[in-house]
Amino acid sequence: MHEVSATRSAPALDAARVTVEVVAWVTRFVGGDGTRRRLFDEAVAPGATVRSVLARLSERYVTLREVLWVRDTGDLSEHIEVLVNDAVLGLTHTLDSAVRDGDRITLIGQYTGGMTK
Amino acid sequence: MTEEIPGGYAGRILRVDLSSGRTWEQAWTPEDMRLYVGGAGLGAKILWDEVPADVAWDHPENRLILATGPLAGLPVWGTGGLSVVTRGALTNGGASTQANGFFGACLKYSGYDAIVTQGQSDGWTYLYIQEGVAELRDAAWLVGKDTWQTQDALQVGLGFSGHQMSVYSIGPAGENLVRFAAIAGDYGHVASKNGCGAVMGKKRLKAVAIVRGAKAIRAADPRGLFQAADEIAHDLKTNPTTKSLYEYGTLNGVLNLHRIGALPIKNFTTNVVPDGTDMAAWEAPSLRQGFDHRGHQCNACGMHHCHMQVIPTGPHRGTMVDEPEYEGWAGAGWAIGCTDPVAISWLNTQVDRACVDVNEFGWLVGWVMECQEKGYLTREQLGGLEVRWGDAEATAVLLEMIVHRRGFGNVLAEGVKRAAESVGEPAAACAIYTGKGASPRGHDHRARWEEMLDTITSSTGTLQTGPPVHPTEFGMPARINPFDPDAVARNVGGHLGRRHFEDSLGACIFTTRSLLETMCRAVNAATGWDYTKEEAVQQGRRTAALFRAFDLRCGIGPTLERPSVRYGSTPVDGPAKGRSVEAHLERMLDVWYETVGYDRKTGRPRADTLQALKLEFLIPALWGA
Repeated sequence: MHEVSATRSAPALDAARVTVEVVAWVTRFVGGDGTRRRLFDEAVAPGATVRSVLARLSERYVTLREVLWVRDTGDLSEHIEVLVNDAVLGLTHTLDSAVRDGDRITLIGQYTGGMTK
Repeated sequence: MTEEIPGGYAGRILRVDLSSGRTWEQAWTPEDMRLYVGGAGLGAKILWDEVPADVAWDHPENRLILATGPLAGLPVWGTGGLSVVTRGALTNGGASTQANGFFGACLKYSGYDAIVTQGQSDGWTYLYIQEGVAELRDAAWLVGKDTWQTQDALQVGLGFSGHQMSVYSIGPAGENLVRFAAIAGDYGHVASKNGCGAVMGKKRLKAVAIVRGAKAIRAADPRGLFQAADEIAHDLKTNPTTKSLYEYGTLNGVLNLHRIGALPIKNFTTNVVPDGTDMAAWEAPSLRQGFDHRGHQCNACGMHHCHMQVIPTGPHRGTMVDEPEYEGWAGAGWAIGCTDPVAISWLNTQVDRACVDVNEFGWLVGWVMECQEKGYLTREQLGGLEVRWGDAEATAVLLEMIVHRRGFGNVLAEGVKRAAESVGEPAAACAIYTGKGASPRGHDHRARWEEMLDTITSSTGTLQTGPPVHPTEFGMPARINPFDPDAVARNVGGHLGRRHFEDSLGACIFTTRSLLETMCRAVNAATGWDYTKEEAVQQGRRTAALFRAFDLRCGIGPTLERPSVRYGSTPVDGPAKGRSVEAHLERMLDVWYETVGYDRKTGRPRADTLQALKLEFLIPALWGA
């Protein structure tokens, strides 16, 4: 798949780095056109979690914030599937799991069904 | 004094006895309308009332019910919906399968909420309906035509074009009683599940043609209906989940499901796409823009979902086809190792035209390909045909063999389960099916345990709950760990009902993906009722319990609620590698049964459940006096 605009967050010497991969349809919510994917190379501080990485990206993209989170509770909403290192959230990581250098968080569209038949 | 018929209803059911050639009208009561609503709900009640245990799927007294609901023909998006309910050929139990287009609207404009056919014609016939006229006509001249040819021929023969007439028919598969034959109409819409086309074929009913009538459908609150319709449309256009459906239908499915290991590849032998596959070609815009295309919307629909397209290259260049749904890309493509969108698009429409279920077809052909590769099925057995992974042209030859029951096609026409049982081991262990004989939908459910549980417990020949829609509206979690057995079972059981309610409205499940409360507002504006979302779920659960009771009466119970060996196997690669659904199946069933209020041992809905669903009349039948 083609990749677009690997965006780096504020550099920090020796900081761990996590990639947030936003795929196809979901790129609409981070300034894309709904195709290909956008990669965000995020510097993370010690103690950073899946939640804090996504929260920081959401601060930069208001539309993503609106669709990714339930405003009142701070939980993830139902619209976007979150994977960490290709595993659906809940398997190897929860929202509050620490992230490590080299981890990849992926945002893909939620499953909606395949046909009416 | 006669009770007033609620708005949104025609108030009459067209009855057709194919044995005698008689047609007549039957009224139904406002009380039953509120309880069963229409579509799947009405069909389930008629099935229970009129098809006893000894009337098998191919018995003349089986019923083939084509029912719509109170929203059909009204200005809510996607309201040409049709539910086909019958005793199906694959499971020999209940079937509820939906299609869209214009049939439901045309039926209502002709003065009927449903058609119930019974009996069996001596010769091939078709049912013609035009405002107050309902007659059986000779269909010998249509025999052998596929579903698109049948619609073409009837349009020319009767002098109607475009949306002036809706035609639903069977293709050669239904004529030849292929057990997974479907019923298709309006060029690309298919009621595909549980061999409903074989039932229609057994009755020698080739087609139903309804001229778009001019009978008005009254809405109790027209202004409220427009408001609700606008709100639903707004939701579909702006909700982050449905916005992708609004723009591209189900085209996003391949890419998304591939990332979670739920894209079925080569008969479940892998979950990894072949090296060199350009997955960018599988993004929704790429899939659509790869073809000349135009919208092919259903009744009153503003979605950019259904499309027609033209094959751009290759041996079938210039052929017009229906843009595949996700499950077409899967069944006519990935499941059989074909990753060429052009070849898949062409093959998918051939499947619809010959008129078999694309899910079952995918599992069947994938099984044949794997077995031939492994030497479990020989070239000689297939009459000299070699069907290699991804070969769409050879697959089309196999399709012809199946729908005409030629050679080994006669074995395959019985569906995956029976074909596998007929061939025996080791081939049988490679086959994907459920214990009841139904076809799993076009995903790899080994990475979607919710749908596997839903599929094996369903009594409709396909999944009955489906993926959650606005789960938080009912206090359900927005997301769960998809491999947590308890959470999965609570989710599947907890969402039971919504889908059956949607399938009772005469609307498309993709245009009912608004809040259930909003859908109820539309129903109430149409009918004058005061339906709540809780009552809507109760109606859906009532429908589910009727189908369950029907299946139990047919001898289909909990012992059959199993996946086949391959269907329940553990993925060997991909995102779900090593996740064993089999290891957790019993636990999931325990939790599911408890959640839906059914008895785990017998499979029966508990008496208190039936009472709560206003189905007291089922208690003596299921539990004795």
